Amino acid sequence: MAISRSTYGTRRLAFVLFACLLIALFLLPSQSQRLLQYVGGPLGQVLSLPLAAFSSVDHGISETWNGYVALQTVHEENRQLRRDIDLLKGQNNQLRESVAAAQRYETLLNFKQQAPSQTVAAQVIGRDATNWYRGMILNKGESDGVRPEMGVVTPAGVVGRIVKTNSTSSVVLLVTDPNNAIAGVVQRTRDEGIVEGTSNGRARLKYIPLLSRVQAGDRVVTSGLTGAFPRGLSIGGLTQVEKSEGDLFQSAEIEPEVDLSKLDEVLIITAPYEDAEAAQKLLQEIHGDRKKP
Amino acid sequence: MKFLLYLLLALVVVPFQTTLLHYLSVFGVRPDLGLVAACLVGFLGGELDGLILGLILGCFQDMLSAGDLWINVVTKGGSGFLAGLAGRHMAHITPAVMTAGLAIISCLSSAVFLYSLNPAGLDEVWLGVRSTIVVQAGLDAAVGAGLYLLFRQRWSDDRMVTEGTL
Repeated sequence: MAISRSTYGTRRLAFVLFACLLIALFLLPSQSQRLLQYVGGPLGQVLSLPLAAFSSVDHGISETWNGYVALQTVHEENRQLRRDIDLLKGQNNQLRESVAAAQRYETLLNFKQQAPSQTVAAQVIGRDATNWYRGMILNKGESDGVRPEMGVVTPAGVVGRIVKTNSTSSVVLLVTDPNNAIAGVVQRTRDEGIVEGTSNGRARLKYIPLLSRVQAGDRVVTSGLTGAFPRGLSIGGLTQVEKSEGDLFQSAEIEPEVDLSKLDEVLIITAPYEDAEAAQKLLQEIHGDRKKP
Repeated sequence: MKFLLYLLLALVVVPFQTTLLHYLSVFGVRPDLGLVAACLVGFLGGELDGLILGLILGCFQDMLSAGDLWINVVTKGGSGFLAGLAGRHMAHITPAVMTAGLAIISCLSSAVFLYSLNPAGLDEVWLGVRSTIVVQAGLDAAVGAGLYLLFRQRWSDDRMVTEGTL
């Protein structure tokens, strides 16, 4: 089949256009990012219409498929049971966290009773546009008060954090993505570390002190020391602890608590603590308590 | 006019990619319809058409991806441009040529993504190549060749739209 021939002028125009784009992106990265973000605002609104339409088709397909394959009643019952399990997991984890905290910090018990975080419920409407990031698209954006760096959870545990927003939707980077980092703490030993995603779709707790006695089966929860998540939200369970000779820290593989492949609804934490001053006090008290012999 | 057409195409392709394409995933990897569309238009319409469509698609994809805002713009725009350059040097495009061309461009585009992720070592590079680049290249090539065969009548000589009317 013959192909169309472009004229020398258009070829040159295309080349100049692409060269200018590359130069702008590499020489003025922050300015060009800002420009792209600025352009993205109105484009996001335009894009939200077909996105919502395709998303409803997707939900329709999955609903119909699940209904026919697994029979309607069984599917509904299963869904209800899953919801219950998620809720119970969340409650169970909170209770464990409460017990652990009570044993160590009696004085902080009052703070543990503080009001829960402010959250916004959102629906998962799509997956990351590329194969290179583990992300999901949510149907809530800046108009609903969602901002980058906010935490995303389900009753069972941590899902990830918001990395991009436009007026009607937002992108959440999952806890299993290697670019994600969340401050975590081992519930039993109270050793802190950083939870990062791995290439194989799991997560890893890094920078565990060398003398720590963490072991497989220990649970990891959010430490609350970063802004996105309150303390005590479940991240997952340790499956394997690695201690290499010569390393300054241990690391451990985590099986995430939430099944990230089957998410439909999530909660976005818009304010990790109801009262920011109380949170600040809590942090100060934790640090003060650690300094005591 | 063509610009509007490309805009409409992007408004269909990108939401489709993010919402429904997971049904076609192989080993968790989905074909990149944005890349396929930019390459097809580049191959058959020329560098400028490929570049423009690639930039629009890339811009939309960046908005719905957790990566940096530039990466899809550059890779999709570059892919369309590169496909246009490649298409200019070919007298006839056959499905086999289209398949090979798409696979190569997909690999190049994926290599940019892999590089941007700063892999920690050779193991991670190899994992990225094995688990994503090769599979995606195969899927992109297959989808591109399929679309080309499906629509080849539309691109027959007498219906060819010449570039420059953008």
